[in-house]
Amino acid sequence: MNNDKIKISTRNLNVYYGAKQALFNINLDLMEKKVTALIGPSGCGKSTFIRCLNRMNDVIDICKVDGSIKVDGSEINEKNVDVNKIRERIGMVFQKPNPFPKSIYDNIAYGPRIHGLAESQNVLDEIVENSLKKSALWEEVKDRLNQPGTSLSGGQQQRLCIARAISINPEVILMDEPCSALDPIATAKIEELIDELKKSYTIVIVTHSMSQAARVSQNTGFFHLGKLMEFNLTEKIFKNPDNKMTQDYITGRFG
Amino acid sequence: MNLVILTLIIIFSFSCYLFGKSKILNTSRVSGKKFHSLPEYYGYYLAAWCGLPALIILFFWSFSELFLVKIFILADFKTDPLLDENKLNLIFSEIRAIAEKKFTGTIPESLIPYSEKFLSINRILELSKLVVILSVIIFSLTFAYSQILKNIRARESVEKVIRVVMFSCAAIAVFTTLGIVLSLLFESIKFFTSVSIFDFITGINWAPGRAFVRDASVQTADVENVFGAVPLFWGTFFIAMIAMSVAVPIGLFSGIYMAEYSSRKFRKIIKPLIEILAGIPTVVYGFFAALTVGPFFRIIGENLGLDVSSESALAAGVVMGIMIIPYVSSLTDDVINAVPKSLREGSLAIGATKSETIKKVVLPAALPGIVGSILLAISRAIGETMIVVMAAGLAANLTINPLEASTTITTQIVTILIGDQSFNNPKTQAAFALGITLFFFTLIINIIALNIVKKFREKYE
Amino acid sequence: MNNIKKEALLKKRYNAEKRFKLYGILSIFLAIAFLFILIFNIFSKGSGAFLKTEILLNINFDQKKLGLNNNSSEKEIREASFDEILKDALLALAPSAPELKQAELVDIVSIDAELEIKKFFLNNRDILNKSYEVSLTLSDDLDQVYKGNFPRDIPEDRRRFSDFQLKIYDELVSKNKIVSKLNWSFLTNADSREPELAGVASSLVGSFFTLFVCLLLSFPLGILAAIYLEEFAPKNKITEIIEVNVNNLAAVPSIVFGLLGLGVFLNYFYLPRSTPLVGGMVLALMTLPRIIIPCRAALKAVPPSIREGALALGASKVQTVMHNVVPLAMPGTLSGTIIGLSQALGETAPLLLIGMVAFINVVPSTPLDPSAVLPVQVYLWSESAERGFVEKTSATIIILIFFLIIMNSFAIYLRNKFEKKWS
Repeated sequence: MNNDKIKISTRNLNVYYGAKQALFNINLDLMEKKVTALIGPSGCGKSTFIRCLNRMNDVIDICKVDGSIKVDGSEINEKNVDVNKIRERIGMVFQKPNPFPKSIYDNIAYGPRIHGLAESQNVLDEIVENSLKKSALWEEVKDRLNQPGTSLSGGQQQRLCIARAISINPEVILMDEPCSALDPIATAKIEELIDELKKSYTIVIVTHSMSQAARVSQNTGFFHLGKLMEFNLTEKIFKNPDNKMTQDYITGRFG
Repeated sequence: MNLVILTLIIIFSFSCYLFGKSKILNTSRVSGKKFHSLPEYYGYYLAAWCGLPALIILFFWSFSELFLVKIFILADFKTDPLLDENKLNLIFSEIRAIAEKKFTGTIPESLIPYSEKFLSINRILELSKLVVILSVIIFSLTFAYSQILKNIRARESVEKVIRVVMFSCAAIAVFTTLGIVLSLLFESIKFFTSVSIFDFITGINWAPGRAFVRDASVQTADVENVFGAVPLFWGTFFIAMIAMSVAVPIGLFSGIYMAEYSSRKFRKIIKPLIEILAGIPTVVYGFFAALTVGPFFRIIGENLGLDVSSESALAAGVVMGIMIIPYVSSLTDDVINAVPKSLREGSLAIGATKSETIKKVVLPAALPGIVGSILLAISRAIGETMIVVMAAGLAANLTINPLEASTTITTQIVTILIGDQSFNNPKTQAAFALGITLFFFTLIINIIALNIVKKFREKYE
Repeated sequence: MNNIKKEALLKKRYNAEKRFKLYGILSIFLAIAFLFILIFNIFSKGSGAFLKTEILLNINFDQKKLGLNNNSSEKEIREASFDEILKDALLALAPSAPELKQAELVDIVSIDAELEIKKFFLNNRDILNKSYEVSLTLSDDLDQVYKGNFPRDIPEDRRRFSDFQLKIYDELVSKNKIVSKLNWSFLTNADSREPELAGVASSLVGSFFTLFVCLLLSFPLGILAAIYLEEFAPKNKITEIIEVNVNNLAAVPSIVFGLLGLGVFLNYFYLPRSTPLVGGMVLALMTLPRIIIPCRAALKAVPPSIREGALALGASKVQTVMHNVVPLAMPGTLSGTIIGLSQALGETAPLLLIGMVAFINVVPSTPLDPSAVLPVQVYLWSESAERGFVEKTSATIIILIFFLIIMNSFAIYLRNKFEKKWS
C-alpha cells in the first residue's frame, strides 16, 4: 500500500446478530479521499461492515458490535460517543433510494436544518444548490425544487439521496450498493459522480458488481462468510489476487 | 306454528338427503349405471329442492302475515272518514291485544267481534300456510326426483345453489343499509312535511316535549319553533371535540411510543392492555362518568369557585376521550409500522435524533393514515350514545362552556324513543330525522376516512 | 459555526428527544392509569353486592297468630300471613318504643322478610309454637351502613334512616345479631324495586337469549357472506357495492341499528317488543359486518398453494373452498365471531330503542318473553336514586366484564393455539 493518510481503521471487529456471528475479526484501514470498494457474495457481511462505520447497527436491537473502530485516530465504537455527531461526519447512501416524503428542496435542507448549519434562508439556499450541483442533479431539478422527492426517477432519487448526504458536508460517505436498483445509464451517472466526489470525500462503496468495483475504486476488500479474505489495491486484486478464494470469486467460479 | 313448520322442513330435507343418496347408491349397484356425481350430491340436490323453496315461502309469509290480517280487519273501518292512519293503527293494536288476551283495562264491546275475526283470519292464514308449504314441497320434490333419475349433473346444480345462497348472505349487508336508509327516510319525510327542513337545520330552540301538549289547532304554529336542531348539532360536535382533545394527544403519543421506542416485549403487553379500554361496554363508561367523574369535576370546580353542573359536557367528553384512546393509539401504531424502515434509516444516517426522525420524516409519511384513524375516532365519538345519555344531560344549551350540561343527537334520539312511543307524531318522527342526520354525518366521515387509509396502505404495501 | 454554539444546539436537540420520549411514556402511563382507575372504581363499589347483610331475629311461631295447626296443608301455609309474628319479633327489639317509632322498627328488615319467614317455616314444620332464630334480609339502607357505604355522621333529616333505627342497629351489631352472607339471591332473583332484593337473573337470561339469537343469525350468514366475498365474488360493480356496504356498516353508530329495529321490525312487521328475539335480530345485523371482516382476513391468510393443490386434483371450486380452505380459516373466523358477539353483549343503545328497558321482575323463559339484558340493567339501575342500587349496578358491571373477559380470552386462546402462521 502507499503512504496515504488513514481515515478509518477497524481492529478485531466482531459483529453478532443474537447468537449468530456475522463478522469475524475485521482489520481494515480506509484511506482518506480514496474510494474503497467492498465486494463479496451476498450475505458475506459487507453491508454489516459499513453499517458499523456510522453505527447504523445501533438501530437493530439484537445486533452487537465488538472491537475498535477509529476515525482520525479516535474511537467511535463506544457507548458514550455521540452517534449523531458521528453520523454528521460519516454520511450514508442506501441500496434503495429513500427520499423523504417532502419536496426536493426540503429533502436536502433536512440535514442542515437539524444540525443548525444554516443561519439564514440564503445560506440554506446556497447549501441546497451546492449539494445538488455536486451530485450533478442541479440542472435537472432547479426549476422544480418544490415538487416531492418521490416524483423523480430512480436514478435521480439516488442522486438526491447523495446530495442529501453531502448537504451536511461529511468527511466520509458510505454507499451500500447504491446502484443495485438502477438501470445501466443511471448507474453510469452515479459512477461518474463517485469519481468526482472522491476529490473531497472519503468513499466506501459496497457493491456486488465486480466491474463497478474495478471502475470506481482505488482499494478493494473481498469479504467471504463474514471474514475479510483480502484487502489490497484494486488493480492488484483484479489482476493478481493473493488469495485463491478471491481469484475464484473474481473469475466467476462462485458468488 | 312457525317452529313446527320449520322443524317439519328440516326433517323432510334431511330424510330427502338420505333417500336421494341411498337411491342413487342402490340404482348404481343394481343396474351398474354410472352417475355423473357422487351419491351425496343427489342427496343434497333433493334436500335443497325440498327445503329452500319452502323456507323462502315460510320466511316471507311469516313476515307479511300480520300485514295481511291488518288489511282484512281494517277494511271495515276504512270507510269512516274520521279515522286517520294513526287512529286506525291504534284500533288494530287494540284488537290484536284483545285477541291475544293481553289487553289491560276494560275491553271495548265494539271491538270484540273484530278480535274474533282476527283470530279466525289468523287461523285460516296459518292453515293455508301449512298447506301451501306442504304442496310446494311435494311439487318441487317430484320435479327434483324426476331430474335425479335423468342423471343430471347434480354436483353442478348443488354448487350453483350454494353460490346463490352465499350471494344472498352477502347481499344482506346491502339490504341492511337500504333498510336503514329507507326506514329513516320514511319517517323523516313525514316529519319534514310538518316541520320545515330549514327550521330543523337552522333553528336554535329544541324542546320537542312542548310539541306534545298542544291541541291540534295551535300545533302547526308552534311545532316549527321547537324543533331547531342546532343546539344538538353543536352539543354533539362540542363533546366530540372535548373527547378528541383527550384521545388524540394521548393516543398519538402512546402509538408513537409503542411503534418507535418500546421493546417488543413491552409493546406486546401494553397494546392489548390499552385496547381493553375500547372493549369495555359504553354503558360502563356512562356509569363511571355519571357517578365518579361528574361529581369529581364538580368538587374540583367548587374548590376553584366555579359553577360546575353535575351533568356536564366536560365529564362526558373526557370519559368518551378515554374510551377512544385505543382507536387512535392502535391505528397510529399500525400506520407507523407500515412506514418503510429505509426512510427512518435515511434520516438517522444524516445524524437526526430519533424524535427528529419521527417528527420530520415518519409522521409526515404516516400522516394520511393517522388522519384517517382520527376521522374514524371522531365518527365513533359522534355516534356514541350511552356515555352522553348518562352523563351529558338533556338540556339543549347552545353554550361553549364545557362545565354546563349539554345534549347531543344521540341523547335526544334515546330520550324521545325510550319507553312507549306512538308513531305519527312529530316528536317521534323528529328522532328519525335526527337519526338520518347522524347516519349521513358518520357515513361521510367514514367514507372519507376509509378511503384515506386505503390509499395510504396501497402506497406502502 | 463555532463549537460552543454547536454544543448548545446539540444539548437542545437531546433535551427535545428526552421530552418527546417522556410524552410517550406519560401517555401510555395515563392510558393504563385510566384503565386501572376505572376497574378499581367499579370493583370497590360493586364487590359489596356479592355479600348481603342479614339480621338474626328471634321469632315466635305462634299457632294462634298464624292461624295454622300441625295438619295445615302447604297451600294454607302459603296463604297464611306471617306479618304479625314478624312485627312482634321486631317490636320486641325495643319493647318500650313509643307507637310513633314502631313503624321505623318494622322498616329495619326488607319487605320480603315475611316471605323469608314463610319459606323457613315451610322447610321446618315442627317449629310451630316454638321460638326460633331466623335470618332475615336487612333493609337496603342499613345494609349500606353495615358495608360502610353510608356516612353515619350526616344530619338525621338528610339520611334515609333515623337515629332510632341506628341505635337499634348498633345494639344488634354489638349482640352479633347482624351477619354478612354470600348473596346468592343477587344471581337468582329477578329485578325488583327494592335494592336489597334486586338480582340479575332476568337480565342474565335475557342476555343469554339475545346473544343466542344473535349468534344463530349472524354466524352462518356472516361466514357464508365472507366466503362468497373472498372466494367466489366476481370483480364487478355488485361485489364492490357489497364490499363498501360491509365496511361502512361496521362503522355505523349502533343506535342507528336501534332505529332500524324500531322502524322496521317493530313498527312494520309487528314483531314483539322488548323481546330477545328482536334484540338478537338487531344485534345480528350490527354484528354481521364485524364477523365478515375478520372472517375474510382469515380466509385471505390461507395461502393460494392450498387452493391450487386441491384444484389440481380435479376438485371443483366449491369443494376446494369448503373442504380445504374454510377448515384452515376456522380458528380465525371463530375468534372473530366471539369478539363480535362480545361487543354485542355489551351493546346498550339499540336495545333501549326496541323497548328492552321495561321493568321485568320475572325471569324470561323463551326468547319471545319481554326481558332486559345486562347492560340495560346497568343503565336502569344507574338511573335509580337509592344508594343500594349503586352497589348493584357496579356488581352487574363486574358480572358483565367477567363474561367479556371469558369470551375474549377464549378468542385469543383460539387464535394463538390453532392459527397457523403461513410464511
